[in-house]
Amino acid sequence: MTEPFLSIRKLRKAFGAFTAVHDVTLDIPKGEFLTFLGPSGSGKSTTLYAIAGFQDPTSGDVLLQGKSLLSVPSHKRNIGMVFQRYTLFPHLSVAENVAFPLRVRRRPDAEVKRKVADMLALVRLESFAERLPGALSGGQQQRVALARALAYDPPILLMDEPLSALDKKLREEIQTEIRRIHRETGVTILYVTHDQEEALHLSDRIALFRDGRIEQIGTGEDLYLRPATDFVAGFIGNSNFLAAEHLETVNGAATVRLGDGSLISGINANGSFQRGQKARLMIRPEAFRLDQGSTGAELAVEIVDVAFYGERRRIVARTGAGQEIDIRPTSATLATQDVETRHRPVFFDPGAAFLFPA
Amino acid sequence: MLLDYDRLGWLKVVLLAFTAMVAAFLLLPVVFIVLLSFGSSRWLAFPPPGWTLKWYQELFADPSWIEAALTSARIATMTAILAVAIGLLASFALVRGTFRGREILRGLLLTPMVLPVVVFAIAIYAFFLRMGLGGTTLGFVIAHTVLALPFAIIPIATALEGFDKSIEDAAIVCGASPLQAKLRITLPSIRIGIFSAAIFSFLASWDEVVVAIFMASPTLQTLPVKIWGSLRSDLTPVIAAASSLLVALTLALMVVTALLRRKLQT
Amino acid sequence: MSVEAQQGIASKRIPAGLGGLLPALTLIGLFFVVPVLALLLRSVTDPAPGLQNYAALLGDGTYARVFFNTFLVAAVVTIVTVLVAFPVAWMLAIMPPALASVLFGIIILSMWTNLLTRTYAWMVLLQRTGVINRALMGAGIIDQPLPLINNLTGVTIGMVYIMLPFMILPLVGTLRAIDPMTLRAAALCGASPLAAFRRILLPLSLPGIAAGGLMVFVMSLGYFVTPALLGGTSNMMLAEMIAQMIQSLLNWGLGSAAAFILLVVTMALYALQIRLVGARRAAGGA
Repeated sequence: MTEPFLSIRKLRKAFGAFTAVHDVTLDIPKGEFLTFLGPSGSGKSTTLYAIAGFQDPTSGDVLLQGKSLLSVPSHKRNIGMVFQRYTLFPHLSVAENVAFPLRVRRRPDAEVKRKVADMLALVRLESFAERLPGALSGGQQQRVALARALAYDPPILLMDEPLSALDKKLREEIQTEIRRIHRETGVTILYVTHDQEEALHLSDRIALFRDGRIEQIGTGEDLYLRPATDFVAGFIGNSNFLAAEHLETVNGAATVRLGDGSLISGINANGSFQRGQKARLMIRPEAFRLDQGSTGAELAVEIVDVAFYGERRRIVARTGAGQEIDIRPTSATLATQDVETRHRPVFFDPGAAFLFPA
Repeated sequence: MLLDYDRLGWLKVVLLAFTAMVAAFLLLPVVFIVLLSFGSSRWLAFPPPGWTLKWYQELFADPSWIEAALTSARIATMTAILAVAIGLLASFALVRGTFRGREILRGLLLTPMVLPVVVFAIAIYAFFLRMGLGGTTLGFVIAHTVLALPFAIIPIATALEGFDKSIEDAAIVCGASPLQAKLRITLPSIRIGIFSAAIFSFLASWDEVVVAIFMASPTLQTLPVKIWGSLRSDLTPVIAAASSLLVALTLALMVVTALLRRKLQT
Repeated sequence: MSVEAQQGIASKRIPAGLGGLLPALTLIGLFFVVPVLALLLRSVTDPAPGLQNYAALLGDGTYARVFFNTFLVAAVVTIVTVLVAFPVAWMLAIMPPALASVLFGIIILSMWTNLLTRTYAWMVLLQRTGVINRALMGAGIIDQPLPLINNLTGVTIGMVYIMLPFMILPLVGTLRAIDPMTLRAAALCGASPLAAFRRILLPLSLPGIAAGGLMVFVMSLGYFVTPALLGGTSNMMLAEMIAQMIQSLLNWGLGSAAAFILLVVTMALYALQIRLVGARRAAGGA
């Protein structure tokens, strides 16, 4: 196997008695877009800061092309970074902001000029070159910050929740820009966010952090379709968790008994279960089918509420055991009369359902 | 509706009339002194029987006035430079530092602003007599820097608190050394605070009377000491001429401040 | 790889922080704390060790009068300043920006004008043959010139003039922080303007009034220049007495003791101010 481009080795960071990052190990190939996803306080930002050199790890190492970065001060790591808050230099024009990293590197004027023009073209802000940051919108400021971070062709670009201060529509717009820029430049990006949609939209791979550890790492599809733990299942996408009792597992396919006494077979079992052990059955809201011709497992429910959400409907239903579940069939596949019967069965593919320990 | 300007009714008329009177009260001595400095009456009759420039001629003919003004300018300039430099370093420590007792140290550094000047004046007077610094320029500058330091720290620390540290971090990630980042990014960003600090500490020294009265020697006296001495002997219109020039200086400083602020903020 | 060798940004903060304070602490320690402490020491050692200086100051009727006068002047100045400043601050807080900036300009001009210049102007204006007396006599309001200078009236006028900006400016901040919606709600609830003022506006601005008033009181207690020039010999204030004891009488022991008393009173009130509004605002800072 070839040597990884960026490698995080058993990284640990403790603040007094509190350990923010527990022995995180991670290899990142060149050109990858990797997102650190997780709730606040899960250690994702701390890991990023250790790579940037803002925080000294308690132990462990960060290697870039086999060489340790830890003894290199931040300003000599040659890493690009876009911050959560707007960090443009307020007294310098947009062009001078982008030129700043080149000027501190004492690059010749002609090169600086050319590079600034290239970068502003990359983020499509050529006409704003002479403006001061104060005259720019939040989205424009972050695009300039991106241009500045890429101006010196850093091998790695770190992005610390760069879109969290923007509103939803603008966020989606700039996500598309970031994807395009990643494609065009081929830079390796480490991106921190707590927004799962953002992570799914942007990343090649996602590392999901929880309490200072990586809970699961993989593509968005991996995490969504094959969650390793109930935390992953709960964090990525929406999930229903039904209380269940494990009966048996054959070749990874489990059979459980639900609270209303019904039996369901062919479920993906995560881990090994004893007979009679309490477990949680996870089903995605969009995995349910309502049409009578559907195949798969069947669940008897009582419809409590139906709401129209544009592309989808959202149905709240109650199981025989009294648990409320969330069902989101697409609006197009569903006529209103389909949900008019209050007591009715709903169907799902047991292969898309997962069993986790309670 | 008491805080809606357009809905106050008759109350607005009353309050505005009162406010106008207070504004006139605030303006009265300043305007009056300028008019008086051009009046021809030695006994300060008002309105003056005629207009003249002779008090200004007398003022500029007397080398002790010029000498005093130059002394004040020299001391105030040195004080402003020292206070801003020391205040800048202290502000970084007070705002960025993570050590314990930060608030207590801040309080200590600001105390000279709160303690009655007369207490500090006799204390430093006695101290300098013993150290042989009484009546020296160095002594003046040290004492005035103590008094000016709070006026330098407050605007700089305020500006620094309003400056997002992430911007400095961004400069460092861009490849600037920590010192470069401070010099090229942070200082220019808080320049309004530094500029205010320079003005305030200059004025704190330039207008300082009490310490100066104690510290002055026959060979070294500042402008306020010169005015003070003249005031105690007689109310000659020459003082009005000198005062008018001080008013002009204040106005000039206000205009420069306003212009610079406008320029720095855009 | 050694963790010690690292030069991360965060790790650099702490030592840099304390080092930066060194020049300021040296200056204040050597040329402020030490001289003031030496002065206090002198108050119990000059001319002989003991508390006789304090006994003399607190036991003598002449000095008692000075203490009383000092508090009286400070109290009168504070009350008049608050009463004059409040309506002005109120208007400043809500008037159109163009008008407000003119008024702010006037306030700043008066505040930045040399202290002695302002006091000199009042000496000329208030004297027996001054403009104010002439104007009043010319208008037939009075027959004899009013004694406006070298007494409590003169000191009060001169001091209020100096203190007004220190009261108005923070009060504008307090008043601007009050949501006008509160007052509209009060009016809708049926409160008359007087009731709205008494029950809403005044209580909400009270913290600003208290903080500003306390600051004016403390500054007035130790003021030297204006009382010395506009006040009379019969109502001398503490700061002037201290200066006289040192400069004219060369009585260092008594002067130091009086200075210490002024220091203790001022610092006690300053501490109260900090309790009231917090350290930063108490120092007039951010």
